[in-house]
Amino acid sequence: MTTRDQIHKWFFYALGLFLVWVLDAQILNRLPVLGTIPMLLPLAVVSVAVLEGAYAGAGFGLAVGLLWELAYPGGFGGLVFGMALAGMITGAVSQYALSQSFLSCLLCSAGVLGVLDGLRILRILFLQAETLDVLLRIAVPEIALSLCWTPVVYWIFRRIYRRVGGAKLA
Amino acid sequence: MKDFFRRNGFWLLVIAFLLSVLIGISSALMGGNADPLSDLVSAVTAPVRNGVSAVADWAGGVSRYVFHYGEMEQELQDLEKKVAELEGELREGQEAIQENARLRELLGLRSKRRDLTFESAKVTARSADNWRSTLTLSKGEEAGLQPGNCVITSTGVLVGVVSKVGSHTATVSTVIDTSMEMGGIITRTNSAGVLEGDFALMKEGRLKLSYLPDGAQLVAGDEVLTSGKGDVYPSGLVVGQVEGVFSDASGMNRYAVVAPEVELDTLVEVFVVKDFDIVE
Repeated sequence: MTTRDQIHKWFFYALGLFLVWVLDAQILNRLPVLGTIPMLLPLAVVSVAVLEGAYAGAGFGLAVGLLWELAYPGGFGGLVFGMALAGMITGAVSQYALSQSFLSCLLCSAGVLGVLDGLRILRILFLQAETLDVLLRIAVPEIALSLCWTPVVYWIFRRIYRRVGGAKLA
Repeated sequence: MKDFFRRNGFWLLVIAFLLSVLIGISSALMGGNADPLSDLVSAVTAPVRNGVSAVADWAGGVSRYVFHYGEMEQELQDLEKKVAELEGELREGQEAIQENARLRELLGLRSKRRDLTFESAKVTARSADNWRSTLTLSKGEEAGLQPGNCVITSTGVLVGVVSKVGSHTATVSTVIDTSMEMGGIITRTNSAGVLEGDFALMKEGRLKLSYLPDGAQLVAGDEVLTSGKGDVYPSGLVVGQVEGVFSDASGMNRYAVVAPEVELDTLVEVFVVKDFDIVE
């Protein structure tokens, strides 16, 4: 792949991310299901990591983390490193332990969403007087609803991968 | 470029870590003000936010007109009746105001005053996760908005408090957000408490009125206003109505669940109280 091909490919991945961001931050938050809205950005990182591998997943995760921190309220910085790490780990897991498939993406997405909400719960338990069951009542539906969106997000990036991807970077 | 990610995989993580630290430090240092990078991203994404918001508001209006026309007509008739009743009460109220002014003058009391300075703004985005309840407004520091400013509707109902200000946008933590903490008062009994958001109630669009006095006899439907204690927030802003009174897990303290008057899902325009001078 030439440098131009690479730029071309990542431009389309960026467009895919833009589409997911619009869906996540502008449309789905207006249409809650039983008071819950899905979290699509981690699914985007996992999809690209599964398709492109560990190192490309880390790069894409870094970009998604930056977007998450800067375009959404309440950021504290940790998501940039967290998403880059999630991209690298899920890319490696799907490459060496699982496969480059939708099922791998679903499993890795469940893992990343679980870790994200687990850390969030720990932070709230540590900083605010709140009980675990109350926080789980928010986290569990959030993870379940987000996983329902995995096919859509994976499909978006799979189409881009089929059109302009192909040559593995890692 | 071909092996860029493979060659620099480790360094990507180092860069991500450094960026995390940088963003964490800058957001801690900037307090309620947006850091320059967030400000830049807000400015770049503003057209998308405004566009989607405009389309969604238009679609909402069309859907209400098409599917809820009968309800709207009924609501109009109810409002016309209410306006007639209020006009009658207003006429009676004018006499009472004049009498009150005369009596205050006789007693040497300062006359009541309620001066609020507003800035109108459009709601351009809503919170995109389940752990916060926020709104993004179309105006920021350049319009004189500051963290801590109260945000209300055109009818004086409390929407929330400005939590972060960028140069052209502001983030509002709504009344049901868990960061909310403000003095509240029940108008019927004059009982004061603390209005605060709660994770369990946020999903249902409710908030708490905690630290109620022991003797407070509240009933469902009691109106809750801001108390203005501490002069940080204006007094007399409508928050909502009491839905029920409960005891906490220890059984020692009572709290009321309050249903906010504001409809956060359909808000289009709000008013930010930039300054206030209230004499009760």
